[in-house]
Amino acid sequence: MNVQDKDRARDRSGAWENAGRTVGKPMPLVDGVEKVSGRARYTADLAEDALTGRILRSPVSHGRIVRIDTSAAEALKGVVAVVTGADCAMTYGVIPIAMNEYPMARDKVRYRGEPIAAVAALDAETAARALDLIEVEIEELPAYYIAADSRAPDAVLLHDNKAGNIEREVHHTFGDVAEGFREADLVAEDSFDCAEINHAMMEPHAALAEYDPEWERLTLHSVTQVPFYVHLMLARCLEMDSSRVRVVKPYVGGGFGARTETLNFEIIAALLARKVGGKVMMKLSREESFLTHRGRPNTQVKLKIGMTRDGRITATECEAVMSGGAYAGYGIVTILYAGALLHGLYDIPNIKYDGYRVYTNSPPCGAMRGHGTVDVRHAFESLLDRMARQLGLDPFAVRRANLLEAPLFTANGLMVNSYGLPECLDKVEKASGWAERKGKLPKGRGLGMACSHYVSGAAKPVHWTGEPHAVVAMKLDFDGSVTVLTGASDIGQGSTTIVALAAAEVLGIEMGRIRVVTNDSVITPKDNGSYSSRVTFMVGNAAIEAAKAMRAKLVAAAAKKLEVAPEEIECEGETFFVAGSSQSVLPFHDVAIAALAEEGTINVKGTFSTPIEAQGGKHRGGAVGSTMGFSYGAQVVEVSVDEDTGQIAVEKVWVALDCGYAINPLAVEGQIEGSVWMGMGQGLSEETHYIKGLPAHGNLTDYRFPTIAESPPIDVQIVESIDPLGPFGAKEAGEGALSGFPPALVNAVADAVGVDMNALPLTPDRLIEALTKLRRANKNRRAETREAV
Amino acid sequence: MKRVVSLTVNGREVEDIIPDNLLLIDYLRERRGLTGTKQGCDGGECGACTVLVNGRPRLSCVTLAASCAGAEVETVEAQAHGGRLSALQRAFHENLGAQCGFCTPGMIMTAEALLRDEPDPDEDRIREALGGNLCRCTGYVKIIRSVRAAAEELKA
Amino acid sequence: MTEVLPQFKIVTPDCVEAAIAALAGAPDARACAGGTDIVVALRKGLSETGTLVDLTGIAALRETATGADGGMVIGAGVTLAAIERMPEIGERYPAIARAAAAVAGPTHREVATLGGNLCLDTRCVYYNQSHWWRKSNDFCLKYRGDTCHVAPQGNRCRAAFSGDMAPALMAHGAEIEIAGPDGTRRLPLAEFYHEDGAAHLALNPGEIVVAAHLPPAGGVSDYAKIRVRGAIDFPLAGVAVATEPGSAGTTFRIAVTGTNSKPLLVDFPDALTGESNADAFFAAMQKAVQKAVSPQRTTTIAPHYRRLSVSALTARVARGLVGLAA
Ligand SMILES: Cc1cc2nc3c(=O)[nH]c(=O)nc-3n(C[C@H](O)[C@H](O)[C@H](O)COP(=O)(O)OP(=O)(O)OC[C@H]3O[C@@H](n4cnc5c(N)ncnc54)[C@H](O)[C@@H]3O)c2cc1C
Ligand code: SF4
Ligand code: FES
Ligand code: FES
Repeated sequence: MNVQDKDRARDRSGAWENAGRTVGKPMPLVDGVEKVSGRARYTADLAEDALTGRILRSPVSHGRIVRIDTSAAEALKGVVAVVTGADCAMTYGVIPIAMNEYPMARDKVRYRGEPIAAVAALDAETAARALDLIEVEIEELPAYYIAADSRAPDAVLLHDNKAGNIEREVHHTFGDVAEGFREADLVAEDSFDCAEINHAMMEPHAALAEYDPEWERLTLHSVTQVPFYVHLMLARCLEMDSSRVRVVKPYVGGGFGARTETLNFEIIAALLARKVGGKVMMKLSREESFLTHRGRPNTQVKLKIGMTRDGRITATECEAVMSGGAYAGYGIVTILYAGALLHGLYDIPNIKYDGYRVYTNSPPCGAMRGHGTVDVRHAFESLLDRMARQLGLDPFAVRRANLLEAPLFTANGLMVNSYGLPECLDKVEKASGWAERKGKLPKGRGLGMACSHYVSGAAKPVHWTGEPHAVVAMKLDFDGSVTVLTGASDIGQGSTTIVALAAAEVLGIEMGRIRVVTNDSVITPKDNGSYSSRVTFMVGNAAIEAAKAMRAKLVAAAAKKLEVAPEEIECEGETFFVAGSSQSVLPFHDVAIAALAEEGTINVKGTFSTPIEAQGGKHRGGAVGSTMGFSYGAQVVEVSVDEDTGQIAVEKVWVALDCGYAINPLAVEGQIEGSVWMGMGQGLSEETHYIKGLPAHGNLTDYRFPTIAESPPIDVQIVESIDPLGPFGAKEAGEGALSGFPPALVNAVADAVGVDMNALPLTPDRLIEALTKLRRANKNRRAETREAV
Repeated sequence: MKRVVSLTVNGREVEDIIPDNLLLIDYLRERRGLTGTKQGCDGGECGACTVLVNGRPRLSCVTLAASCAGAEVETVEAQAHGGRLSALQRAFHENLGAQCGFCTPGMIMTAEALLRDEPDPDEDRIREALGGNLCRCTGYVKIIRSVRAAAEELKA
Repeated sequence: MTEVLPQFKIVTPDCVEAAIAALAGAPDARACAGGTDIVVALRKGLSETGTLVDLTGIAALRETATGADGGMVIGAGVTLAAIERMPEIGERYPAIARAAAAVAGPTHREVATLGGNLCLDTRCVYYNQSHWWRKSNDFCLKYRGDTCHVAPQGNRCRAAFSGDMAPALMAHGAEIEIAGPDGTRRLPLAEFYHEDGAAHLALNPGEIVVAAHLPPAGGVSDYAKIRVRGAIDFPLAGVAVATEPGSAGTTFRIAVTGTNSKPLLVDFPDALTGESNADAFFAAMQKAVQKAVSPQRTTTIAPHYRRLSVSALTARVARGLVGLAA
């Protein structure tokens, strides 16, 4: 369906009775003009008169710091300050129970590239020279780059309190798995190896820190997705009262999860700024941005599925081992997510999950788009397809045999209120011509499909304080303009636009009357940040509530002025009038003035809190994966494979996503395209590659995310299941489709050339190796049959 | 070494003392305050820094500023006229060709050079011409649509 | 760590003689044409130079002409964008146009020159890295270090020549014209390269490449490249094939890039005739390429793959040229 001419008349049970005046129509981003004109200021654009900060990084993977001598660097003309691990004895981290990282290493370094010291200098040249003058002596320790090596019995521990170098083990069983497998007609098992990947957002990391010694206050501008968490960690690490810290998020050039936790360079910039009593700009190179990492870990998945002859899944057993890098980061959450999101897509009564998050001597992994679910979903959807083939079932039929029926709670306690997967399946099956084309394409060409889902905001945040999950403040003043204040972090996904749309819709006013002010801790209400696709759902709901509160005041003022009861007031666009009468019509601004006459400038706020039922099961770790609603997606991928060179061309993708309700169909489309495409990168070509811990991929020619040249057309269809709790019925749209791509690709390649690929990405060398093996196996088989004859 | 260089930046003739080892991107961003031009990589790999030099696209991060003596340099800031967006800027805005916006200036400048040369490129031509401009947000679908929309508008 | 460019001065000669004088005058002087390779190298600290000799002001280097033998002369300063679009090249030397269009991205090609491409530095995962990276790894034989991490036993650098243009020109039998303090010389392009990643060019101090001379094309040609993505990527391997019709059948000139420290002419003298068994013929050609190349662990993609794929690609390109696509 083309969103441009979409029919907006539809059933919306409950959410907002009048929805559809402003929301539901394609709308360019409210900050789009700034972006296309070059006026949008990103962190690195704010450098004026700042000192240059630079970081000295560990040359070794694992070792004890014996000595750091900064005296020569400090003596260099033009160097204003040098800091080392000695300047900060506080750890930081995103999960309160797992803060085990120092901004700069203190006693030990645990990966190549870990910050050791930093300088602030008058210019970049001096800063570079100063780094060369810092002497560091490190006593090297054995280093491990894959989980199996760090888990070896005699391995040296990265962190003394973590036996076996295991950060977290998870063992969850729901239902009776053994019984489930007994009921199965086919039990299949396979192992998958998904390479580590990185977000590679286009904007390299940067932070601008300014310290005012007179007031003893710090201001930080940064590329973050989570200004609130950065604020907390700055106060902690600099041992400052949080009231003396201010965090501002300017325009941000993408994040995809790379910036959902406080990052070392942000704290280091602040430490330097305090030491110099001034302003320090810390711009990281592309290579350093890769070193800062927090990407999706290498994940090895062992999966076993039981299925009846007609395609019903009876049981699933899954083991995931993640090589998580040197520090905790989000690791605990990632390993929990991977298990939790085995649930919630299909109706599977019996699931056993064992997860191991393991420390390795490489840059710390973290959250990345589709956090936790992608690699396990990849294994699941790939194996499901192979089982369908064995049973002679159509891949669509197998999915349809296992659908959920909303509303329900899954075996692990996840709440599902809306479920548009069946419609997604129908749509992509039809659009791709699956029934007519599958199995009938020429050799070398193939079709594959897969399903996926993702949370719309974690129902319990990592810093649980009990306060509402989101707050939006709204001001109406003498000029008749509405200012919306939000801490929601727009990183390109369009959250500022969502907030503006929600306000305009509920207030019934023109977009031009609304300005959204975002992300300045001294102005805007606290927000947890942009991650786990929480913003539209939570902040959108808070914005609706704020606008409703403001609207009530306006209606009351109009009623008073027109001398009727508020219930008799109706609004049409920017006018208020008495129901059934065309005489007494008040324009918006007059009503605003009347309302101000009562109490002066009007300030209202709206909040959103997650209902208790949404917060997951009671088991340990049960909060992870819990959400108010899941997005659901299905996609079909068509490929052609060059059997000489192993190159795969993705010809086309058909995708349908149930996002509940498309508040801005243009942005929803953009999010779906972007996430499918990012899944394509992971499926085809993206992977990190370390040489003894040194990143060989630390640039944009060796970290190969797709160019426009090989990026396919993506046919997007939006399914609207109208979630009862979502803002206007909306759920998330930016992550759910990602994890469907890699398995759909693998399934398409199997269809095209008959090889089942178990390692991601499907680079040409991996494919050629598999094809060579296949040819050899076929040859042997032919030889055997000849002998038998 | 330093030298006095005269060049035209966004239609304005300027004369500046420029060190020989100053990159065009740093000259534009730091000396001329034209921060619309973005640095996305450590040199020559992403296209975010694309500007026009004498009407042709150029990676300003691997171009020495001193080598632009006598040249006409255009950046994204000069594309709007009288505050109104250029056809491409409008198309990128209206079609969501820009999500985070970081690749956008480079995309728009490369596409601008294309449209000046070939006012009506088809999708394949657009894919070819923008091959050196990376974007991490859009999957390129709406970027292609934006360039097509601008071509349509210019035709009309 | 954004590397800071070293201090250097730019010299802008307007004729070949002045360029030679500038290069010969300072031992650490380096030529700069489009700058798409050398400026990146300077940014990464891969090269130190006090003098950058900017060749773009030399009009004579930007000319193309018809050769005395009816062939073609392409100046070293001609941009790849121009080569890609020149109808004469597309018609007579299609491999060269195809190769030009396959280099980097279109914006690079606007300024990238033929000379710069032929003189492109060799590449290696241990070398094309930041200063911090290489320093952490004790540098390597090619620059500032004393072992090769790719082949620690050996005593030479195995970095891969990764230019797309050289094989296309070699398949067409090009000669390269070099000017230096001792005058000009011409040699077959294949002889311009050595199998040594740290010193792969037969270029003496003060010399520059002036032009490539192409004999008239006898047959047809094509270039194909292996890369992971559809643009930007350097060749993991690339192959140019040109046919030479003769009385004893069609022979093929095959040149390969990306697999060795120099671009290779593959020795395959067999002629394809009406009597040949085509499958056996092209299988033999494929074998010949497999044997000739020796890719090393200089990229993140396995050497074995580069060998297999470039040889398969050779046979396919050759088949295509004679209308025998498999
Ligand atoms: C992201 C990226 C991708 C790339 N992909 C490819 C690719 O796919 N294929 C490919 O072939 N290249 C690729 N390149 C490398 C480079 O862009 C091209 O090889 C280009 O043709 C180099 O030409 P130039 O004029 O810019 O060379 P320059 O950088 O100016 O010079 C390169 C070298 O040649 C020397 N030189 C230049 N001209 C002369 C002359 N006339 N005589 C003697 N020496 C001279 C210089 O001193 C220098 O050592 C890529 C580069 C980047 C940054
Ligand atoms: S091949 Fe060896 S010597 Fe040459 S660049 Fe690579 S590591 Fe260095
Ligand atoms: S900044 Fe990436 S190519 Fe110039
Ligand atoms: S819009 Fe974000 S990188 Fe292109």
